[in-house]
Amino acid sequence: MNKILLSLVMLPSALWERLGADTVQLKAILNAKLLVDDRKPLSFGNNKGPAHSRKYTTITTMMVSFFMGLIYILPVLITAADTVIGLTMFSTLFMLLLTFTLMTDFVGILIDTRDKLVLFPRPVNDTTIMLSRLLHIFTYLARLVVPMCIPAWIVFGLIKGRKGVLFFPLPVLLSVFVTLFLVCGLYLLVLKLSRPGRFKDVLNFFQILFSVVFFTVCILSPGMINPEAFETLKVEAYSWVKYLPSYWIATCWTWADHAAKVLPGTRWMSVLSVVFPLASLWATVKLLAPGFVKSLVTSDNSNMERMPGAQAGSKKKSAAQKRMYHRANLFNKSDASKAGFMITWLQTSRSRSFRMKVLPSFAYVPVYFFFLLFSGKHSFTEVWDHLPQGKGYIALLYMTAFVIIEAINYITISDQYKAAWVYHAAPVNKPGEVIAGAFKAVWVKYFLPFIAGISVFVFAVWGIPVLFDIILATVNITLFAAIIMRTTANRSLPFSRKEQIKDSGVKNLVRVAGTLAAMGGLVLLHYAAAGLSAPAETGFTINLSAFSDTAWLTVISFLLKALLLALSSVFLWLVFDSLKNTAWETLQKTE
Amino acid sequence: MEPVITIRNLSKVYGEKVALSNVNLDVYPGQIIGYIGPNGAGKSTTVKILAGIIQDYSGEVTVAGFNLAKHVLEVKKKIGYIPELSEMYDLLTPREYLAFIGKLFHLGDEVIASRSQRMLESFGLSDHMDQRMDGFSKGMRQKVLITAGLLHNPQIVIMDEPLSGLDANAVIMVKELLQVLKAKGKTIFYCSHMMDVVERVSDRIILIDNGAIIADGTIGALQKDGNDSLEKIFSKLTSSDDGLKRAGSFASAYRDNAENRDNGHE
Repeated sequence: MNKILLSLVMLPSALWERLGADTVQLKAILNAKLLVDDRKPLSFGNNKGPAHSRKYTTITTMMVSFFMGLIYILPVLITAADTVIGLTMFSTLFMLLLTFTLMTDFVGILIDTRDKLVLFPRPVNDTTIMLSRLLHIFTYLARLVVPMCIPAWIVFGLIKGRKGVLFFPLPVLLSVFVTLFLVCGLYLLVLKLSRPGRFKDVLNFFQILFSVVFFTVCILSPGMINPEAFETLKVEAYSWVKYLPSYWIATCWTWADHAAKVLPGTRWMSVLSVVFPLASLWATVKLLAPGFVKSLVTSDNSNMERMPGAQAGSKKKSAAQKRMYHRANLFNKSDASKAGFMITWLQTSRSRSFRMKVLPSFAYVPVYFFFLLFSGKHSFTEVWDHLPQGKGYIALLYMTAFVIIEAINYITISDQYKAAWVYHAAPVNKPGEVIAGAFKAVWVKYFLPFIAGISVFVFAVWGIPVLFDIILATVNITLFAAIIMRTTANRSLPFSRKEQIKDSGVKNLVRVAGTLAAMGGLVLLHYAAAGLSAPAETGFTINLSAFSDTAWLTVISFLLKALLLALSSVFLWLVFDSLKNTAWETLQKTE
Repeated sequence: MEPVITIRNLSKVYGEKVALSNVNLDVYPGQIIGYIGPNGAGKSTTVKILAGIIQDYSGEVTVAGFNLAKHVLEVKKKIGYIPELSEMYDLLTPREYLAFIGKLFHLGDEVIASRSQRMLESFGLSDHMDQRMDGFSKGMRQKVLITAGLLHNPQIVIMDEPLSGLDANAVIMVKELLQVLKAKGKTIFYCSHMMDVVERVSDRIILIDNGAIIADGTIGALQKDGNDSLEKIFSKLTSSDDGLKRAGSFASAYRDNAENRDNGHE
């Protein structure tokens, strides 16, 4: 596989040489990188994994890509009505997903400085280093894109015949090039323009923002596409698409079918689809490569350069530290718990990868809630006016669990997992106490303020009577989070594991499914206690107030909720106690 | 005097590789032990066992009167372990990292704050206490690691190449610190490849090779046949060839057809 990929990326050697790269060095660097990728444990995006499981993880990744690729069938189906508009939609969606993947998983390769001691002292020019990174990212994309496009390729072949089968790789390849050079170009531009030290924060902000935008688009776009309108979709109705690179790529279909309908005067734009990625590549390499290594090193050393300014902020910092120590003392009794609380509080603030993975989930909750709310056939005002009569707040409250579950999934993971040797060298009697401290930190730092904020909205819409529901939901979510923390995968010391796909997949899947089923059961019980019998079918806008107006029903509802709260509290205490008492032997079994 | 560390028949095997084989040792309070050996000799395994990090070994180890296998936490409380340029959570500042470590050793907030401040001040790091360590040099990180290892005032200090990355002034300071700690009755287990330093600071030198102790005594006792430096003694006891011969063999690799090209004589 590596040999094929290496030959593929080195095919246009003459072009790389013209751009200023040393092709011998370029090939050597890429070869080494691909070898290293093969020997690392596998996670999605970062090729990792013990040797024996590598084969399976590669297959898993390809299968995941294949199933993700099923979503491209929808735009390709449109090509039956209008090929160019269908291909435009396909390329847009494909490029959007690629941009997301690039930003979240791969773009780090571009600005990685871990190999600085290997490459930077050697006589390798900036263009070679930059191109090696761009092409390295391309090899990752190639591994993902091929299985991802197979379903759409088959469907396009069925619609357009042999011509379609032969044509389809072209828009895919062009879309990959456009996305790769645009995204990397943007990053390199930010690297060149941003102040040292701010660069990684700016990028982190972009990544989080784009994750939220991507999620919103993915959630909302299926609602905007009306499958019944497929038959009548015509390119003429969307004249603005001519400004999109995905449209230029789609017009390449005119090379295969001269009679294909395009917007008047846009047939020539197919040339743009080839010129544009080449021009982006040229601009990226020629304009941004000079000084690339210098910018990287500067950004890498930025913390040292920031030192004089750090004094000014130290007062503010120490006030924040005092607050953190105060919380650690307030929420924890034992010193080990306090240590777990402190390290989690601080690391989660500083780790960019943690922020990248967890912060977007704060936005997903309201986006998904409003999507559920307005996805029916009723108008916005109708839904909004009837909101206080429904029980939608219960769903909203439980959605906040997403934030704490995301946080819990990542507090045990760190690139610096080896730094966890300190726990083993310290007199920690029960590592469970450190884990419990970490859990509390996440709960206090992320979950508590979030559910408090959501509760303000819930109070504003549904009024004070739902207070008891908020308390019940808070306890139930905390119970779940504790159960998840106690499960095998997460029962580890904070920041002590490297990120990788879990080998014991089936076992964990069963555990996760069991936990989710338990959570579903609790939510249903809460709904039932709140007066609704079948929330899934009734949705949010059904008004059962006439039913619950009767005083006896209100009393029973309250008693049921009180009983549920008591039971959940007892379970929470039991689960948390078990987590707190986790022994070294249990951890060793887990690890 | 009662030994502070007693090791009896200590063995450790990794798969088929024997890391330690029947090691026996008594260490007395207030001694500085220079623990030396070639790469892969078993030094790190020994210190990791003493620090309570490796717990699956055979044999018996007693530290400060506690059986290590039965009272590992009590032993850890007595030991300050300073590994060589080890990983740290370097997104934290030194102050935060030391607060975290201090809590793991059950120190009070005020004790942690005052000790951290004074110890880092001595290392000249007081201006950097509130800066993240991810931008620190090797030496600065090593200073934080040394501070973290000594923060809880341990009775026994285990140092693995503690001078790595330190500047000359810091090296002098650490060497003096060893003497001060010794004067306070602390036992120091000093692992290093820097023979001249080991020779100068150690009261007793233990040489380990292939998992077994092959020499144990003061530098005077080890020099019994003459006036050899510790480096020479080390080389004689652990190497089958002499260094000069091997260096010559290494350099002879240049005698190939590419040498002229490398030097630009084409």
